[in-house]
Amino acid sequence: MATERDRGRLAPVVDWMENLSEAAYAYLLLIPSFGLLALVAFYPLISTFWMSLLEDQTRGAEPLGGFVGLENYINILTGDARLARQFVDIGFTGSFPFVELGVGFFQQALFVTLAFAILNVLFTTLIGFGQALVLDKDFRGRRWVRVAVIIPWAVPIVIQGMIFYLIFQPTVGFGADLMSWLGLFGSDPLASSQDSFFIILIADVWKTSAFMALLILAGLQSVDRSLYDVAKVSGASTWQRFKFITFPLVLPALLVAMLFRTMDAMRVYGLIESTAGCTTVPSLTCMVVEAMFGGTRIFGTAAAVAFMTAAIIGVFISVYIVKFRDQEGGVY
Amino acid sequence: MAAETETETIEREATGEQKGEQERNRGPLERWVGDSISDPGRAYKPMFWLVTIFFLFTTLFPFYWLLMVALTPEGQLQDVWLTPNGFNPGVFIEVFEILPFHRYMFNSFVIATVATVIVLLVASLAGYVFGRLSFPGKGPLMLLVLLVSFFPPAAFFIPLNDLFNTQISILEPVLSDGSIYNTPYALIIPLSAIFMPLAIFILTTFYSQIPDGLEDAARVEGTTRLGALFRVIIPLSAPGVATAGVLTFIGVYNEFFFSFLMTDGQPQSWAPILDGILGYQGQYQTLYNAMAAASIIGVLPMAILVVVAQEKIVSGLTAGGLKE
Repeated sequence: MATERDRGRLAPVVDWMENLSEAAYAYLLLIPSFGLLALVAFYPLISTFWMSLLEDQTRGAEPLGGFVGLENYINILTGDARLARQFVDIGFTGSFPFVELGVGFFQQALFVTLAFAILNVLFTTLIGFGQALVLDKDFRGRRWVRVAVIIPWAVPIVIQGMIFYLIFQPTVGFGADLMSWLGLFGSDPLASSQDSFFIILIADVWKTSAFMALLILAGLQSVDRSLYDVAKVSGASTWQRFKFITFPLVLPALLVAMLFRTMDAMRVYGLIESTAGCTTVPSLTCMVVEAMFGGTRIFGTAAAVAFMTAAIIGVFISVYIVKFRDQEGGVY
Repeated sequence: MAAETETETIEREATGEQKGEQERNRGPLERWVGDSISDPGRAYKPMFWLVTIFFLFTTLFPFYWLLMVALTPEGQLQDVWLTPNGFNPGVFIEVFEILPFHRYMFNSFVIATVATVIVLLVASLAGYVFGRLSFPGKGPLMLLVLLVSFFPPAAFFIPLNDLFNTQISILEPVLSDGSIYNTPYALIIPLSAIFMPLAIFILTTFYSQIPDGLEDAARVEGTTRLGALFRVIIPLSAPGVATAGVLTFIGVYNEFFFSFLMTDGQPQSWAPILDGILGYQGQYQTLYNAMAAASIIGVLPMAILVVVAQEKIVSGLTAGGLKE
């Protein structure tokens, strides 16, 4: 019996663990993960939150001033903060459509980030699903096709940025000429907020579809193959097999993939910095980094933007959390 | 294959007389379309290859272009399209002469391996708890794990940087000056924590799908609680575990923010591959060709290693697995 091998010096520990209630055992196993998260995440976040409540101190030895409560947050929303780009800049008018953009759509951090996240998740999900379905088939050379599909995910962000920067750089690459010949982009796409937005979107979809594909593929591989045989015998069409077997069984993995893709897309920064730059395409994380490391010493505002970014992501993500709860209720 | 063609010939012979008349008037494409309509299975295979080739092209083309940039000699980087301007394969050796790039790769490899092992172990325990046990406070605790991923990395940076630069006297025997900055731990610790929520959620999903009966059977056989996790649940979830491992390994290997800021960028202070690649950016000019070559060297072996390893793990662990 297996227990006999485990007996020995560990016996008291094993016995103790065996006799714990389910809840106590659960908390015991969570200690390592929450210990690590407490050190690296919860402690710094509390500390940063405190920073966000302090006044910016642009002069003097101390980096931060006195306690000002939520003033930093209010300043950011009303546009009074000393930020290079505004978080959101809309005014209300009396006539249709009742809102008016202060600066262009693609120059407002909130809209850029939301549009980027929605389009990105949409395209990576579709492409990733397609790639996963291909990789799930057995064919000669599948291993090499899999390498090819994963390679973009393995490209460091600096290099991903460099590839797309050079392609669309008018003197080096071909992308700028090609796209302006097609009439889609202007002559210098990397200087235009709108064109750069789409370049960054393409670059990120290229890289992160692999992430989706891998997770969906793992879901597909866990599907019991005999289900398909049963379905075939009962005369289900390919589409029905997909709809009633593949999709429901892959859905949990798909939701996890989409959840993390959404959060990642909403925190996009490195790619923007290494292609068009944060002034051309301002994302929320761009604003945090520029405020924190831009040399203007507005640490309080930077911390406040970080927390507002998290709050927006939280609101956006609550959709998935509701979905997860439904799943939980449905499956068990 | 042989059987297929045989049945095809038989079918064709059977309908040969009417078909022969029509086929003379149709082009090959039209004939193929006609056949596909009468038998959708035939259309499936070429479509499959078409889709595969499309995916191969879109994922590999930017990579191919990167190779062209690498092969173009320095200073001739204009209008690179399908071929390089000149041919300079020596760049793949030059990159090691300009910087000790292999040392950066080694650093990244060690950091990514250790972080992946930590993440898989710790996240397996948490994934088991969230996926298979019920206890008060489960929902809020899962949300707390997820909360970490809401924040831009910059939100963690200042307090962590202070912490890692603090000299801690207990650590002095282990680390030269008692602070974590410029040691591999400065990257392993934060990157493990940052990639852990993803791994926890992946593993929670996969572990929760294993039928209860299999775990119960192992427990009846006398396996300990932890033994059931490591001998039954984890092997049966091999595709999920391997995927979590691959995503974490490559994610850590290529991470941008902490890799850039948590070391001083010197290879001997455990600076990762990112600092190596950025090292080709000089003050006055950027050696794009060297950057491109270095990233191909850094990425290609790692991607192949990861894929081969993943296939081995998945086939090794699931070989004896069965579903309830």
